[in-house]
Amino acid sequence: MPESLTLERKQQEGLYHNLEERLNKTFPELCGVMFLYCPGPPQLESLVSEFLRQETGSDIEVLKDASTSTLAVLLPGSTLNQAHYQALLLKRHLEETVPEADPRITLTVFPGQVDPTPGVLKQMAESARLGPSSDIHIFTKEEAASEPGRILIVDNDDTIREFLTIRLNMQGYETLEALDGTSALELIEKWEPDLVLTELNLYGIDGLPFINQIQKLPVENTPKIVVLTEQRVERTISQCFQHGVDDYITKPFSPVELDARIHRCFQ
Amino acid sequence: MLVYGTVAIYYVMFVNILYFAIMGLSYRSIGTIAKRAKYSSYQTLSGSELVPSVSLLVPAYNEELTIIENVYCLMTLNYPTYEVIVINDGSSDDTLSVLIKEFKLEKMHNPEIRGTIETQNVRGIYHNPDYPHLFIIDKENGGKADSLNAGINFSHYPLISSIDADSLLEKDALIRMARMYMENPEETVAIGGDVRIANGCLIENGAVKRVSLPRKIWPMFQSIEYLKAFLGGRIGWSRMNGLIIVSGAFGLFRKDYVIAVGGYRGGYPGEDMNIIIKLHRYMLSHKIPYKVAFCPEAVCWTQAPDTYKIISNQRMRWGRGNLKNMIENRGMFLNPKYKIMGLITIPYNVLFETLNPYFRITGLLALAGYTLLDMTHWRILLTFMLLNFLSGYLLSVGAVILEEIAFRRYKKLSDLWKMLLFSALKFVGYHQLGVLWRVQGHIQYLRKNNSWGTMTRQSWKEESETASTA
Repeated sequence: MPESLTLERKQQEGLYHNLEERLNKTFPELCGVMFLYCPGPPQLESLVSEFLRQETGSDIEVLKDASTSTLAVLLPGSTLNQAHYQALLLKRHLEETVPEADPRITLTVFPGQVDPTPGVLKQMAESARLGPSSDIHIFTKEEAASEPGRILIVDNDDTIREFLTIRLNMQGYETLEALDGTSALELIEKWEPDLVLTELNLYGIDGLPFINQIQKLPVENTPKIVVLTEQRVERTISQCFQHGVDDYITKPFSPVELDARIHRCFQ
Repeated sequence: MLVYGTVAIYYVMFVNILYFAIMGLSYRSIGTIAKRAKYSSYQTLSGSELVPSVSLLVPAYNEELTIIENVYCLMTLNYPTYEVIVINDGSSDDTLSVLIKEFKLEKMHNPEIRGTIETQNVRGIYHNPDYPHLFIIDKENGGKADSLNAGINFSHYPLISSIDADSLLEKDALIRMARMYMENPEETVAIGGDVRIANGCLIENGAVKRVSLPRKIWPMFQSIEYLKAFLGGRIGWSRMNGLIIVSGAFGLFRKDYVIAVGGYRGGYPGEDMNIIIKLHRYMLSHKIPYKVAFCPEAVCWTQAPDTYKIISNQRMRWGRGNLKNMIENRGMFLNPKYKIMGLITIPYNVLFETLNPYFRITGLLALAGYTLLDMTHWRILLTFMLLNFLSGYLLSVGAVILEEIAFRRYKKLSDLWKMLLFSALKFVGYHQLGVLWRVQGHIQYLRKNNSWGTMTRQSWKEESETASTA
């Protein structure tokens, strides 16, 4: 079951949800957040926390994302300048004490330019780990805007679902799959995707009733709907647009065109 | 007396030869059927503008348990343009209100009813723009034929399809039929679908998820019976254009010709056979080339009665309807004007379906009498009965093989053995009961007992719950 697989993967990302909660509840006033990626030293966690405690004299917290071995450091009360200064000290310290170390740091403060959503936090961690330069990186609003979209793929055909999942994942979208109309409606409510890419012929519920149901779901932002279907009857196409579908693509489809149309929906 | 015995023996021999000939025709068609079922690109067809639109007519009388599931099933078919028209035939239960509640329907103002076939008073038509292809007609009770006529009057499209409210269509069933229709749209006037027994299958979301044989014996016998009748019989009959019935559970018709023959005949069961005979009659007497086809790859799953009372009721009703149809159309009997229909199908039905019980009973009595009077040896009697059984068994096995060649819906090996076993068991008891029910039906006809009889339904959920726990 591809759905449950993706859901499991999401649970590993619990760290970022946890961080979000701490930032919002425990440190609502001001808190610097620094993500550090530095492969090599085994005791990196204690090394970092000891050094920073000495330097700042305040209560800092270090958390670890086990799957990528990226550290998240919370600096309560730090302004952006202070956090940057600490990062510079930390970087020099690591370079001096650990041979051949190449620490990569991304940092920002909350509340600041961006809100501490799990997506943003994860993106920060990734920019620390995968960023091109070894300079300390300050995370800004412009970057957060490119947060990956969530797409729910609904189709009864295994091949189509697999193809779309791989392709959309490569473009950086987060995806989930549903086989039929009924489970798709449940997933939309639970997962709140930004876009639903759906066939019209589905088991359970399909066609226009399905589209109407999506729009009536009690979710904060009704997802955009892109129909990708065998159905080529003009009347159905125009009815779909009347019922608020964002785009309509017929099978067989051009993947490049599909990319372009989906990309436009996210602008 | 001896002459009668000889006649009875020849009768049995002849009927068996005829059965084998029909099955032979089925075998000649099965290769083509298997290939087209496998390789036709139904996916592409199911979205094409060129496929003709269909109105599905679903007569419902006291169907509150199954109707919602069925409507959901019918609304998710793989088909470009179609509408679902449920006709509530003055149900005494909550059929109408459960539909209104589930689909939030509202009564239409000034619905446009274009057809002119006489029906019982239509009380109202219900619709919800959120489900643009669903309509409910609420009318006063008038029987199944009357409901279908009311549906025809309201329907918007040139093809109509009658579907029983206790049946589930496979997602591709309708497009498969339409593909067959599109091969010869000028001449095809009616197409029948393959009806199978859903008891024992796992049903989810209004679709059959896992196919397996029924666990109760009544539905099990009927499974074999249906397989034999549809695959062994109807494929062969349709090959020579002599099909006398398109099952009421699932059939596709040209609306213009159904209207031309005056719609369905009310007031008596057997309306599904009646409409086909009327179509044959109309086309032949107007000398229009035509075809009544059978589409075995279009599958409809139906709930079979699972108690003695209900199945006997159903079979008596069939016997009654059959007798009525034969008497009504006696003018076609051996009438060369009606070609295959008049020369083969109708005589076959009269001699080997309607009168079958009497030949069997008297033949058996005669043979038993001979043995008692020592006019023949008991061994001959035994040999005769054994031969009779073997040919019957061979026909059932033949149908199972047809199924295995073309469709393979039953995936488990144990199911295959079970089918072979019950094909044999059928001749001990069930077969004889069938003869009895038919005679009882005829008695009902003579007594002018014209009720539909009870037909209780089980909700699909219960069905599949028992299936999943098995």
